[in-house]
Amino acid sequence: MIPSAFAYERVQTVEQAVRALQANPGAKLLAGGHSLIPLMKMRLATPTRLVDISGIRELRGVWKKDDRLVIGALTTHREIATDRVVRTHLPALAEAASRVGDLQVRNRGTIGGNLAHADPSSDLPAVALAFDAVFDVLGPEGMQTVPIDGYFLGPLVTALPENSVITAVSLKLPPSGTRSTYVKYPHPASGYAVVGVAAAARVEPDGVIDFVRVAVTGAGDVPYRAQAVEDALLGQHVSDDLIREAAAHAADDGSISGDLFASEAYRRHLCSVYVERALRKVLSRG
Amino acid sequence: MKIRVKVNGRWYESDVEPRTLLAYWLREDLKLTGTHIGCDTTSCGACTVLLDGKAVKSCTVLAVQANGREVMTVEGLERNGQLHPLQSAFWECHALQCGYCTPGMLMASYALLQENPNPTEEEIREGLSGNICRCTGYMNIVKAVQTAARKMSGESQEALEEVAANGASAD
Amino acid sequence: MSEVLKPQFTGARVTRLEDARLLRGQARYVDDFEYPGTLEVAFLRSNRAAARIQSVDVTEALAVPGVKAVWTFADCPITLPDRPFQVGQPVLARDEVRFVGEPVAAVIADSRYRAEDAVEKIRVQYEPLPAVVDSRAALADQPRRVHEHRPNRFLHKTHVTDGFNEAFQSAPHHLELTFRWNRQTGVTMETRGCLALPDPVSGRLTVYAGHQSPHGLRGMLARLLKLPEHQVRVVVPEVGGGFGIKAMFYPEYVVVAEAARRLGRPVKWIGDRMESLLADAHARDAIHEVAVAYDDEGRILAVRDHVIGDTGAYAFPGFPGAVGEANWATEMLTGPYKIPHVSIEIECVFSNKAPLGPYRGVGGPIGAQVQEAIVDAVARALGKDPVEVRRANLIGPEDFPYHTPTGKVYDPGSYGESLERALALVDYERFRKDQEQWRAQGRYVGLGLCVFVEPSAMAESEAGSIPYEAVTLRMEPSGVVTAAVGTGPTGQGHETTFAQLIADQLGIDVKDVVVLHGDTDSAPFGGGTGGSRSGTIGGGAAIRAGQALRRKLTQLAAHLLEAAEEDIRLEAGKAFVAGVPARSITIRDLARTAYTDVARLPEGMQPGLEVVARYQPPGAATYSNGTHLAVVEVDVETGFVKVLDYVVVNDCGVLVNPMIVEGQIHGGVAQGIGSALLEELRYDENGQLTTTSLMDYLLPTAEDVPRMRVEHIQTPSASEGGIKGMGEGSLIAAPGAIAAAVSDALAPFGVFVTELPIRPQQIVAWVQAAKTEAQAG
Repeated sequence: MIPSAFAYERVQTVEQAVRALQANPGAKLLAGGHSLIPLMKMRLATPTRLVDISGIRELRGVWKKDDRLVIGALTTHREIATDRVVRTHLPALAEAASRVGDLQVRNRGTIGGNLAHADPSSDLPAVALAFDAVFDVLGPEGMQTVPIDGYFLGPLVTALPENSVITAVSLKLPPSGTRSTYVKYPHPASGYAVVGVAAAARVEPDGVIDFVRVAVTGAGDVPYRAQAVEDALLGQHVSDDLIREAAAHAADDGSISGDLFASEAYRRHLCSVYVERALRKVLSRG
Repeated sequence: MKIRVKVNGRWYESDVEPRTLLAYWLREDLKLTGTHIGCDTTSCGACTVLLDGKAVKSCTVLAVQANGREVMTVEGLERNGQLHPLQSAFWECHALQCGYCTPGMLMASYALLQENPNPTEEEIREGLSGNICRCTGYMNIVKAVQTAARKMSGESQEALEEVAANGASAD
Repeated sequence: MSEVLKPQFTGARVTRLEDARLLRGQARYVDDFEYPGTLEVAFLRSNRAAARIQSVDVTEALAVPGVKAVWTFADCPITLPDRPFQVGQPVLARDEVRFVGEPVAAVIADSRYRAEDAVEKIRVQYEPLPAVVDSRAALADQPRRVHEHRPNRFLHKTHVTDGFNEAFQSAPHHLELTFRWNRQTGVTMETRGCLALPDPVSGRLTVYAGHQSPHGLRGMLARLLKLPEHQVRVVVPEVGGGFGIKAMFYPEYVVVAEAARRLGRPVKWIGDRMESLLADAHARDAIHEVAVAYDDEGRILAVRDHVIGDTGAYAFPGFPGAVGEANWATEMLTGPYKIPHVSIEIECVFSNKAPLGPYRGVGGPIGAQVQEAIVDAVARALGKDPVEVRRANLIGPEDFPYHTPTGKVYDPGSYGESLERALALVDYERFRKDQEQWRAQGRYVGLGLCVFVEPSAMAESEAGSIPYEAVTLRMEPSGVVTAAVGTGPTGQGHETTFAQLIADQLGIDVKDVVVLHGDTDSAPFGGGTGGSRSGTIGGGAAIRAGQALRRKLTQLAAHLLEAAEEDIRLEAGKAFVAGVPARSITIRDLARTAYTDVARLPEGMQPGLEVVARYQPPGAATYSNGTHLAVVEVDVETGFVKVLDYVVVNDCGVLVNPMIVEGQIHGGVAQGIGSALLEELRYDENGQLTTTSLMDYLLPTAEDVPRMRVEHIQTPSASEGGIKGMGEGSLIAAPGAIAAAVSDALAPFGVFVTELPIRPQQIVAWVQAAKTEAQAG
């Protein structure tokens, strides 16, 4: 299995990357390549040119800016999983990144590449949705921001403007005292999420939930915020019954689909199971 | 396209088609056939090498992506005619049968021990979950990585033999 | 020989002699060989399960730079042997395609890049035909015949013991179960491939291939290419796993060899993983409709089994897979149990799927799972402990040699002993108590058993089979030994185990024995590796060859030391007179004398030290046995099954190298876990294979396989050295043990597993259905 022929260039700046994309219809960006190259080997993707952005240094790293955590687009899953700032402020993101694929994939795959590729079974989209991610994007028109809301349009299709490059992803830090987690049923071969759930919640001392976020990936055509679950929880007293009832709505906001490994009915079921498990982790006291 | 890559400590220059995968370049241009190809879908890990010190599946990396970077393959493990402790542990523990996955297993284990010199059995199993072996049931591979970890941290010979004889300790 | 050998190496955990090259990345698999001017082949394969080929347009493909030839059947009109079912596979599809993945055209180009580019440019016009994918429908030739000239059902046979009907009908209890095993395959980590070249010196055709039977491959190539056998040399270099699939003869080998011959260039084909999953021998794919008659004590009185096997579009030469699967599964149906009566009916059909061939264990895994499920079902129906029912039915030590109702004769084994030992290793009674407590906590943990019998080293003397192996031994003038064998190792460590056996015969160090294999120019004719025959038959031949050479060394030493032959001992590199160790001569000196100081040889002795020995075991087979015990936990919310504990008590007779035996057991258990929980080749209703990569054909990883505990019992066989074969037992037993453990875990929900692999979503569906029923009730 060998990709069909293409041209290759390595760029040093984001501006060069944008210009290369503009000048070459059919060109694609290459970061780690772990989403794109497998498709190219099966000749399901046949870009005419690859624009390698992996050498752009300023696209790496994690830093805190106001109430947001900013992550350079080329930061690898492994770097995110082991980053002290991420682990402290957004444990759910570290957990998700630590469970992407396998060791080798985490070493190569990047957050920007992952979210730009928009595989519907990818782990990071759930966390991005739960924490109101915003993309910093450089395009032909200059810098702009793209919110996660409405970003995922379909499998491998996003609202990213044409010929543009994600430079960073920022996630909104939840109110202090929030607990967050990411749980998933990994596909036995790929490690992708058959269903993955990111959840964050804060419980006031009186037991009332005053902040909650739940997002689901892997279950359907696009990852989604489980709004119905959040609605069922917000402002309510934590209880076992509440969690169970809320989790029953896990699939309400998604367009759930089946595949070779998991039928639609099974995926719906897994959505509830994993939402419930995630909620128990973030809502349990102790 | 011209590339220059440092492989096992030595710089190599080569003219490649951009679509050449790193695994094929190592095998066909440098004749380093210890790196094997087993699946095409980034699943099996037989092609694992180190790229700038990190384990990667070289069937999913373009040779041009390695330009200016450093690669280490199974052929680079041995030093001055001495097997690397991982190689000798794989030998002692019978961690290979047909040997096809072995180079990838060795390189993934090498990367694993670099990051975590003292992994638990669970961490080893997780760390090697991107590498498929069809012969050994992983049992002796896990044992070998544990043995190598102890060797590399300089534990006594008796302790090593005990591990080799009794299998993994439950740490 | 009267002398009692004191083995120094046999039975020891000798580290492998093969490993030095493998660990350094210096081993050479087929794809690692490079000859100047090599052309590479890429195949265009059918993307239809059934269609008539209207036209193949190769014009554009031929125009791709670097392309030397594009062949269809017309260019390479060779068909694999069509006996005995009047169906032979054309090496490139002829007029019609019959399975997805069938080679239709071959591009031969100066690189695999160009070859793959050109494959994309071949235009084929197909006229689609209805695909035969359901084996029950296929029996009635629905929707059509796969091969127009013959019915789909190509094999129908029955075996009924005298008195079956009466025994079955008079039994107090009956139950019926239908088992289904889906398609699986061996998935060697190295895909299949071959490299053929006109030998630059001799002009003969040399073919490198990863294969389990070098002589078998040579014979078939010579026959199909119409070459004298000595004009074909097969070289099997390092092989990255075989598991049965590399014992078969495939059409690609013919195309590559013929291309090398006709183009006068080295030609290579290395399959990719998709080709491997599409067109390597598939396995299993059988339905067993079983009826069981038993009494109040759980004694099983009679079993009826109706098997429907789906062999795919063609029968592999010499091994129609469905027949192999069905025969083995039913011949071993009663396993270690004293079941007096069976009634067996086998029906095998062609379908529009890839050809079925061998995968480690062949029908054994199915037979063992059915056999153990029968026992567990009886126990469940009677409310008895499954161990009690096993004890009530097991063949005891007093029963050997045991004649099975299917005509097999078991040599002595340790059936009950292995079971009891396995139970003791997990503290069975305690487990049952814990299990109840866990259930009360909502944890579903189950224990499954498989008491298996593994037929090995089949040595039937019928025409066409090779019931023996040969070993040639040459002690070189310096006293080191070069051996050559006809087996085809693919990771089993023959270079080490045979060296152990030979070294012990000759009193030399194991490292002083080199074992050559795989090159038909040096290896004696042999049957290759498969059916767990190498250790027993090949090992027996190694011992016999060692004995022959020892006789000559002993004769020579007796002459030189002026002692009686019966007083000579060979040990630690020396020949000496028993009780007088000072009267000795080194084996090295003996060797030197034999070659270069021939005046000192006894009268009549030929110079040199070279022998060939052949060995055929005394029995038609020798039966290994053992018990596998699996403990699993089922997450009933997700259907995820985790194997918590795994115990194997194995009896394969005398152990040559326990380390290697254990390694094989570990690997077979992992494959068994895959068989039971993960691996499935799934065709859709149009005959499209939907699992064409390792993203969809799921293999066990290090996280899916638990730590295992392995113990040995050694009940010797009557074969040379007391060895029994053991290459397949672990995969025979493991799926049944895992399936039984899942059934046991889910017993509170009334679940009983009859279909493998067990899919997580199926578990969830079972549990939900049981809960719904409980609520309704």
